Amino acid sequence: MWAMTKRNLKLFFRDRGAVFFSLLSVLIIIALYAVFLGDTITGGMKDVKGVDFLMNSWVIAGILAVISMTSTLGALGIMVEDRAGKIMKDFTVSPLKRGSLAGSYIFCAFAVGVIMSLVALVVGEIFIVASGGEVLSAENMLKVVGGIFLSVLSSSSIVLFLVSFFKSRNAFTTASTVIGTLIGFLIGVYIPIGSLPEAVQGVIKVFPVSYSASFFRTVMTQQPAAVSFDGAPAGMLKEFNTELGVQFEFDGKMTTLAVCVIVMVVTAAVFYALSIWNLSRKKK
Amino acid sequence: MEKIIEVSGLRKSYGTVQAVAGIDFYVEKGSLFAFLGPNGAGKSTTIDMISTQLAPDAGQVMVDGHELGRDDGAIRAEIGIVFQDSVLDALLTVRENLMLRGSLYGMRKDALRDAVASAAFTADVMGFWNRPYGKLSGGQRRRADIARALVNTPQVLFLDEPTTGLDPQTRRKVWDTIRLLQKERNMTIFLTTHYMEEAAQADYITIMDHGRILAKGTPAYLKENYTRDMLKITPKKEEALHALLDREGIEFQKTGGDFVVRLRHTADAIGIIDKCRDEIAGLEVRRGTMDDVFLNITGSEVRN
Repeated sequence: MWAMTKRNLKLFFRDRGAVFFSLLSVLIIIALYAVFLGDTITGGMKDVKGVDFLMNSWVIAGILAVISMTSTLGALGIMVEDRAGKIMKDFTVSPLKRGSLAGSYIFCAFAVGVIMSLVALVVGEIFIVASGGEVLSAENMLKVVGGIFLSVLSSSSIVLFLVSFFKSRNAFTTASTVIGTLIGFLIGVYIPIGSLPEAVQGVIKVFPVSYSASFFRTVMTQQPAAVSFDGAPAGMLKEFNTELGVQFEFDGKMTTLAVCVIVMVVTAAVFYALSIWNLSRKKK
Repeated sequence: MEKIIEVSGLRKSYGTVQAVAGIDFYVEKGSLFAFLGPNGAGKSTTIDMISTQLAPDAGQVMVDGHELGRDDGAIRAEIGIVFQDSVLDALLTVRENLMLRGSLYGMRKDALRDAVASAAFTADVMGFWNRPYGKLSGGQRRRADIARALVNTPQVLFLDEPTTGLDPQTRRKVWDTIRLLQKERNMTIFLTTHYMEEAAQADYITIMDHGRILAKGTPAYLKENYTRDMLKITPKKEEALHALLDREGIEFQKTGGDFVVRLRHTADAIGIIDKCRDEIAGLEVRRGTMDDVFLNITGSEVRN
């Protein structure tokens, strides 16, 4: 199984197109943010101290959530490709166990997700520091890295469930495009949740990946928010958190980090179970 | 004689279409076995079932003493398959491809390295060992495919149309390798092909169509039983030969000015030639070929 996982990783990273495509939505976010979204969002908060640090951290947090989904999806493209071309046959004629074969794709997706997220985190931190912010504290860094593992686990489970239905390259490419485009909206990166109508807010709140974003935002905006909202009334921070989807509000109660962790773990458990069910169902 | 593959009552249907409609055959250990049939005859379905890829609806298959459906793992360990299409990773080098595929058979590092080197040497892929599979020519790919199939030193090697689309030099090279494996390693070769001159080199041929086995036997047996030899005479004077053959009671057909006489035995030609000696401008005696066998058994209409 490890040899197969290694093979899948090699195939993914050697296929520059796949790597690029899995980063496409991240690049779109960065471009949109650089061009006008940044100004739109910070427009009303010009006078807030350290607003660039705050908003950069917020965007990087969103990117971490997006990348956990798009990169694992890209990595699972290998599974679809193997199935569509007849390469899968070459593995099923060998004594390799079916479970190990499926496991190798999942491990590969997980590894790709973690690697790409960590790279995004490092690049993001460099960007934050370069534009006048400070690096994450050791404790927060640990939390983010831990969060990356959880978020990749939960996002990859959703993606795997989707991919378990696809047999053709076409279906997969279409899904990648749709997901890559929608994900930015679905977790409130393109437009902050506060600026969206109630119904759309509801969609964001039930989409599990939003909680990965919430987790990263909570941890990563903690330091900049302490600077920006120093001395400000407590209500302002709460408003910022709800408007920008750092936390989600249900009946006046705010979600916490613990809620995010629970949502990610439960999502992973449910969707991995569904995926395994769907993948084993097909063999008959 | 030892039977390495034994198939009985094998069936598979897709919906209402019977792809394989209950077939029986066996393959002798160490033989070169050719499995022929037009497109859609059920050959690939049969190979898929024997190679544990597809569950049969009914029937029994034994591969080297292992029962299909019960000992699939053991069967997989003992077979190698060269597929019609490329199944190696285009982005990996030949070496990486072979090492990965070898590792799927649970070999330890040293054994794996030896097995891969031996397979690579046999299939003669050392010359492009470190090049990505996707960048190889068609012939090189085919050789890499064969090396892949040999990586677990199989008892039975399946080759599904291994020479389709290759140039004559590469075809010869592939065949040299196949013969080497059969003669020197006593490997059993299970082959499907569309080239009848290749099939004619097999020890035993089975012809299949519409999911059933229509004929089996050695190439000589099939030629003897399913073809007629043919005598073709170009006459000096057409009417004279016509009259002569009528008088002798010899049946013939006229095609393009030539007289064609179907013979029961090749030697019968001698008597006829003798009788017509004075009327013959030119002649040809042609023995039945595997092409004739194939067309006579499966019919000559083209199918899609």
